[in-house]
Amino acid sequence: MSDFLTYLSNITLPMLQGMVITLSVFAVTIVCSIPLGFLFTMMAQSKIKPIKAFADAYIYVMRGTPLLLQLMFVYFGLPLLPFFGQFLIFERFTAACIAFGMNYAAYFAEIFRGGLLAIDKGQYEAAKVLGLTKIETMTRVVIPQMIRVCLPSISNETITLVKDTALITVIGVAEILHYAKTAVNRDGGTFAFLVAAVLYLMINFVITMVFKKLETKYEF
Amino acid sequence: MEIIKVNKLNKSFGDHHVLNDISFTVNKGDVVAIIGSSGSGKSTLLRCLIDLEKADSGDIIMEGKPLLNAGVYPIAQDIRAIIMRMGMVFQHFNLFPHLTVRQNLELAPKVVKKEEKAQMNQRCESYLNKVGLLERIDAMPSTLSGGEKQRVAIARALMMNPDILLFDEPTSALDPELTGEVLSVMQSLANEHMTMVVVTHEMGFAREVANKVLFMDSGKILEEGTPEDIFNNPREKRTQEFLSSILREQSKKATKKYRLKSIK
Repeated sequence: MSDFLTYLSNITLPMLQGMVITLSVFAVTIVCSIPLGFLFTMMAQSKIKPIKAFADAYIYVMRGTPLLLQLMFVYFGLPLLPFFGQFLIFERFTAACIAFGMNYAAYFAEIFRGGLLAIDKGQYEAAKVLGLTKIETMTRVVIPQMIRVCLPSISNETITLVKDTALITVIGVAEILHYAKTAVNRDGGTFAFLVAAVLYLMINFVITMVFKKLETKYEF
Repeated sequence: MEIIKVNKLNKSFGDHHVLNDISFTVNKGDVVAIIGSSGSGKSTLLRCLIDLEKADSGDIIMEGKPLLNAGVYPIAQDIRAIIMRMGMVFQHFNLFPHLTVRQNLELAPKVVKKEEKAQMNQRCESYLNKVGLLERIDAMPSTLSGGEKQRVAIARALMMNPDILLFDEPTSALDPELTGEVLSVMQSLANEHMTMVVVTHEMGFAREVANKVLFMDSGKILEEGTPEDIFNNPREKRTQEFLSSILREQSKKATKKYRLKSIK
């Protein structure tokens, strides 16, 4: 029994280190991609054609290609570009954050667009006749309602993000799965995968709870 | 004193000429009822007055300032200053669902006018009291009945101290038994000499409360006059047809209600 516990702690401790990296990539991605996504939503609504075209193209490319490919492109591909390549050499962790932030911004942009579509035209009209400016209408009337509409989709996307962080092992970032694979290759058993699964479940349990709280808070 | 003067207003949606050379005046203290069948352009006209629709040509003069001058609109800032003198009540209430009743009333005074809190709270409470909903001050709109929502919407419009209130079919989305509470609030506003323009299907209200009635048909004001003129001696054939069809409709509804009651 004590052998088992020793083995468990031997493989789990490094995996907890990996979990810190996983959570860091997760946190950086959320913090960057939600505002960036909202910016793209606004750009895609713009009446200025080039801005709208750029946002549409960005969302199309980011959603239309595999995240794994984007990740490898940022880490291995960008430094090989002519002229600019020398300025685009990133640390593994930074490259992972860039690829995830840019990819998730596109998904969040689509979620927010859906949220905006759900808001009745009458809300804009009521705000206008009360004298609110366009910006006041957005911040006081539209965005609070949009958040409520988007929360379930954002929650879903956030959980997907936690699981997607497992991809960054391919560019050699030492996250949970990286340590699990090492243990499995070294010891032969697949027990480490089970531990990894439990760690992911723990993270997602917390996220699920947080979003449940948020949904009750924003209920109306 | 003229509050609104509309002169030769025109508007088309594509090939469809919705407003055709509309001219009329609203004086201070007037209660103007705009009646007519659906599709006659009543709501579009009302929405043009407060810049929710853009007209194609003509003039709209609000308290001497042009909102539309020979088909040309002023800069956005001036438009905003003009429409802030007006209030609007919508068919579907358009309350802000994420805010309480109090917050619905206080949002615009707080954000737009930066009104002092104590004074704003006090005015909020007095307007809610006026529409009989003071006890619902902390309720969310989703918990209110249709009639209560519309009364809150009226109080919200009053919070901006408008010189004129526009009503776009304020009782059309309500169950018949809830129209009375909204109409009586409007009646009491009329008694206090609030200037109002009301697009309505409530002939009773038009007859009792309005001092001027406009009958619209296919984008034109076909007939205009006092309620007695329009309801007792309509000149135009279309007006007569419209009024008799409305009367038939209403008596049908009344019979239905009666039948339901007798079944119970």
